[in-house]
Amino acid sequence: MQLKTKLSILACSLLAASSLSAEDYVSVQFVQYDESDDRASVSSPSIEFSKDFGVDYNLKLGLVADSISGGSPTWFDTTSGASAYSRGEDIHMDDVAYGNVEYDDNRVAGSALFTTRFASRDELAIGVNFSTENDYRARELSAEYLYYLGSSKNQSLSLGLSYQANEVQVECIENEACDANSGASQTMDVDVISAELGFTQILNQDSLAKVSFFYISEDGYLSNPYMNVVRSYNPNSSIVDVVAENKPDKRTAYGATAQYIVAITDTISSNSTYRFYDDDWDIMSHTISSELYYELGKSWILGAGLRYYTQSEAEFYRAGFFGDETYASSDERMRDFDAWGYKVNADYKILPSLSMNVGLNFYDQQDTFNATYYNIGLKYSF
Amino acid sequence: MIKATLVMLSVLLFGGCSIKDVQPWEKETLAKDTMKNAAGNTLMTKFENHIYFSKEGSKGGGGVAGGGCGCN
Repeated sequence: MQLKTKLSILACSLLAASSLSAEDYVSVQFVQYDESDDRASVSSPSIEFSKDFGVDYNLKLGLVADSISGGSPTWFDTTSGASAYSRGEDIHMDDVAYGNVEYDDNRVAGSALFTTRFASRDELAIGVNFSTENDYRARELSAEYLYYLGSSKNQSLSLGLSYQANEVQVECIENEACDANSGASQTMDVDVISAELGFTQILNQDSLAKVSFFYISEDGYLSNPYMNVVRSYNPNSSIVDVVAENKPDKRTAYGATAQYIVAITDTISSNSTYRFYDDDWDIMSHTISSELYYELGKSWILGAGLRYYTQSEAEFYRAGFFGDETYASSDERMRDFDAWGYKVNADYKILPSLSMNVGLNFYDQQDTFNATYYNIGLKYSF
Repeated sequence: MIKATLVMLSVLLFGGCSIKDVQPWEKETLAKDTMKNAAGNTLMTKFENHIYFSKEGSKGGGGVAGGGCGCN
């Protein structure tokens, strides 16, 4: 009886420790991201704050400010300059080129997530997100319910839903009210509805597994306002048109993820994930990723990660010229490709309540570009 | 009924693994940062997810919240 009482006190202490001290923190992170061949560069400082209010409520706030510059590849009319708006009709094909068009942008994104824990310790999390760029605005409302299936809380079910309303500034489509400088003139809407159902099972003291199924429905202007295609209506002619790409205005996707996390020894753990994705644009993808962590003494955590991604081609993608097809895109993200990602990182506990992290990451997308990015951050727990 | 169905589903999905009824005081290892995505570095997880969202043709599976253009 005494032992049982002591164990109960220990259990309460562990739960209290995890819910109070582990949840209250402020962390900052800076990431510098650079792509090869003078493509995108991003400087991204971010901050996150998490605070428990008693044992039933938690508030998490996040803010990120990206400064983006560089070049993005597309078709353009060389006689009117290397711009995403260098479009036109009746252009000689010798005057058409595929290459980087320069751009710069600033993105500010914020998030707030409020979590309520009920007497059963089930959780309801309500979130709001916003993201603004020069030519894009996103607002999102999300809700997720975490339902424990037993008193020992070794199994849980989660259901998440979100609605996102986006507005994108697009170059004048109907040749009305065009801005001569930016080309941006019309505000187009994109609505996104997402749902995710997850199931987590604690397998034993050292491992757990999670499976989830997700659904995404997008509706609205899904083309990229900076991407052009070349249309050649007469194969015997050298005269072509450079026009804006045209993707379908609806996209429905579904997929599933499976994750396995295990402490291999007292100091080594691994986290492996597989994701399957399929949509009605004919893109099917598989993603496999794995992270390994090693606790060196009481102050260091060393990590390494590997990620492999492969996808099939969208039905309307073509690297070369189009004819009069309704849907046409030369957006490289719509092509068939593989990508690899590698990372190493270290986390050092300076004080019991203060830690710093550094990381070096490499991303290599087949036949197009690679990116190197490093991160450095601090986390203060209170 | 729902609970029973889910427990059955769990047995079917993870039947090959040895599932133990872990007590709350036995979850110290499971609560470690090293048992979380990116060792608990949620800011880095968000950044990486935004890269993949911006540079690849598929998305989803990491929770329902998030946003942004990623046009370039």
